[in-house]
Amino acid sequence: MSSLESVVRVLRWSDARSSAVRYVFHALLAAAAWVLAVVIVARFIPLEQAVRVAAFGAPFAFAAIAVAWIAARPRPMRLMRTADLQLGLKERLSTAWERRLENGPMDAMLRRDALEKAARARLAAAYPVGLRRGEVMLTAAVAIAAVGLVLLPNPMDQVLAQRRADQAAQAQAAATVAAAQKKLAAASTPAPVDPQAQKILQDTRAKIASAPDPRAALQNITPAEQQLLQLSDPQTPARASSAQNLANSLSATSAGRSASHAITASPSQGAQSMRDLASQLQSLSPQDRAQLAQALAAAARQAKDPQMSASLQKASSTLADGDLIGAELALQELAGQLDALQQQENNDQEIAAAINGLEAARQQLASQADRDAGQSPATASASPRASGSGNGNSNGNGNGSANGSGNGNGNGNGGGSGGAGGQGSSGSGAGQGSAALSTERVYVPAVPLPGQSENDPAPLGPGQDVPQAPYTQVIQAYQQVALDAADQSLIPGSERDLIRAYFSSLGEPSTGK
Amino acid sequence: MIAEEPRLDPGRVTELAQSLETELARLIVGQKELVRDTVIALVAGGHMLLEGVPGLGKTVLVRSLGQALTLSFARIQFTPDLMPADIVGTNVIREDKGRREFQYQAGPLFANLVLADEVNRATPKTQSALLEAMQERTVTVGTETRALPVPFFVLATQNPIELEGTYPLPEAQLDRFFFKSLVPFPSEEELLEIARRTTGNTTPQLKPVADAEAILAAHQVAREVPIAEHVLAYAGKLIMATHPDRTELDSVKRYVRFGASPRGLQTLVLAGKVRALLEGRYNVAFDDLIAVAHPALRHRVFLQFEAEADDVTADQLIDEVVEKTDKAKAAG
Repeated sequence: MSSLESVVRVLRWSDARSSAVRYVFHALLAAAAWVLAVVIVARFIPLEQAVRVAAFGAPFAFAAIAVAWIAARPRPMRLMRTADLQLGLKERLSTAWERRLENGPMDAMLRRDALEKAARARLAAAYPVGLRRGEVMLTAAVAIAAVGLVLLPNPMDQVLAQRRADQAAQAQAAATVAAAQKKLAAASTPAPVDPQAQKILQDTRAKIASAPDPRAALQNITPAEQQLLQLSDPQTPARASSAQNLANSLSATSAGRSASHAITASPSQGAQSMRDLASQLQSLSPQDRAQLAQALAAAARQAKDPQMSASLQKASSTLADGDLIGAELALQELAGQLDALQQQENNDQEIAAAINGLEAARQQLASQADRDAGQSPATASASPRASGSGNGNSNGNGNGSANGSGNGNGNGNGGGSGGAGGQGSSGSGAGQGSAALSTERVYVPAVPLPGQSENDPAPLGPGQDVPQAPYTQVIQAYQQVALDAADQSLIPGSERDLIRAYFSSLGEPSTGK
Repeated sequence: MIAEEPRLDPGRVTELAQSLETELARLIVGQKELVRDTVIALVAGGHMLLEGVPGLGKTVLVRSLGQALTLSFARIQFTPDLMPADIVGTNVIREDKGRREFQYQAGPLFANLVLADEVNRATPKTQSALLEAMQERTVTVGTETRALPVPFFVLATQNPIELEGTYPLPEAQLDRFFFKSLVPFPSEEELLEIARRTTGNTTPQLKPVADAEAILAAHQVAREVPIAEHVLAYAGKLIMATHPDRTELDSVKRYVRFGASPRGLQTLVLAGKVRALLEGRYNVAFDDLIAVAHPALRHRVFLQFEAEADDVTADQLIDEVVEKTDKAKAAG
């Protein structure tokens, strides 16, 4: 060795080589530990892109260890001290390095002695390249465990797949609502309710998109539909019926035949025709006027809308009295009512379009919710509180029965309002049931198994008149049958949701104990 | 005065010390450690306290040292009736040509090598006179202060078993001794060799290997040996570890009353330097400090009564201090 600096260079290189091997191994251990931790966490928590997260950790670990390696670069004095201790140089190198700039009586001899001893020693041996057995074993164990867990099937993958399907279904449903919204905006005849309907659709779309799952998203549709229905005028059917009666009555008169056709075609055309008829009253013959007055009186009698009935009655009476100006005014008033009817019908069309959009979204969400329910294990739950539903009939009465989920039973009554079509809107009911012990098995009438005839005699217990089976075995079949029946019936979507929710609650794990 | 001394080559000091050890070994059988400690103390310019039972060659060692170094030698047998004037000298009345006058008559302390045999048998007054002379290297008689010859090297002995009628040296006076060495009983083989050497017709004569000037030059050279900061820090850690209120060692906390003084650190470093020279090195190593830790510190670590009850010695505690003080960590 020619100088202490050259000794430092050799030692630095040896240390860099030795520590690089050690740090690389530490990086391997850190990366393997990271992957193992991520894989373990991903087995308990559904972690999106767990493999990517684990893979990102490896370069990060190597980068962090590389930074640590650079930062831990030892100073020359430390190199010398370590060499002294490792090579048994009796602190010659460190003392000589510390006093390299001194010029004391012994410093020259000290440096010479240190360099002489350093030249005889194998300096690289001060920093041996090697790994500790324990470290190697630990790294191998962690790496094997990580790889093993990566290769084994992860139960959370199914949860993630379901979550992705849920998100896709929600996105699709939100897109469907957005399409309905666009359709409303692009309508050729804008209706007054458009801004409100747009707002309702906008809010619903946001709620569907942000809902945690399709089932929760479904719960936003019925309120939205109800809000849309509230925008509709309840007098529209009565007014439309009155207009139709007017058209029927006028068709029998020679003066009002064209007006009859126009009313039948559309209320707006009818309104224009009524205005024309009002302006032509002066030119009608007395017979025609009398005939027209009778037709108007008949229409007034049949009209279910009070305003229209009053206008018709007024037009009829003034015409019969020969008050042509009064009759003209009454017919103008009638024309205005037909215009209003036209506007109401436009509104209803817009509302119907919006509801159709929501119904389409409902179908998409419902089918995903059904798939989710089918994937979750059918376990009996015992909630002491039960919910019930009822279908309203055309008279507006409904009743519902409530079943406590699991093994509770209850009864409830609900009220519903019936529309013209005879569909009850909704009913509600509440029931109380007593929860049985979790060990108790609940039996229901059995559904014939494939290959088994319904008429096959089955062993019956004392007091039983039908074969019994644990309800957990048949709940899915019952659900399917009920949902098929609901799909084939003309019932509101909200009622179908209620049926679906009922069966879902039966299939949920018990939480209410 | 020391600066005017001719400077000695460090290699020559090593040779001197090694020749001295070789010469002493011709008379002293075994006791290599004791001889090494003695040479270190001599070169470092410190005094030694030897502890051992009678008949182990303490006097022979000092006399041999005097022969090998051509230095004057005096032996003082300490007894309870020994007075300070008996060792430092006194003024006596002398008559010269009809005139009477006081004349100073030097005591046995005026020698290069002094053997203070059984120093603990003298009264504290006489012990103090000796210890003052050791520290100041001067004696004062009447109003006159006289310098002792250089080099001045005292080897005091004490017997660890006959304690009745003795005056144990107080802690402050023990601290004045550079080293305290234990003189062990020789092994059987060494015992036979002693018998062979001392019961014949001839006694080996030592040849001088150095003189007073060489010893003084060696003092100077020894002090020039460099010590690295981390090695010095290690020496400091060793000293701190002997203090019950500064250490982390439970045994020290339990058994030690007072730890080593700063003079202990000075001794450790200086003795380490001399040992490095004796080993042919020009720097102090950790091993040098560890090698001299026992003789440098054993009389500076004062134990509790509990240590005596549990049969714990200062040497055991020093071993533990050395073992538990990590070199790399102590140096930072």
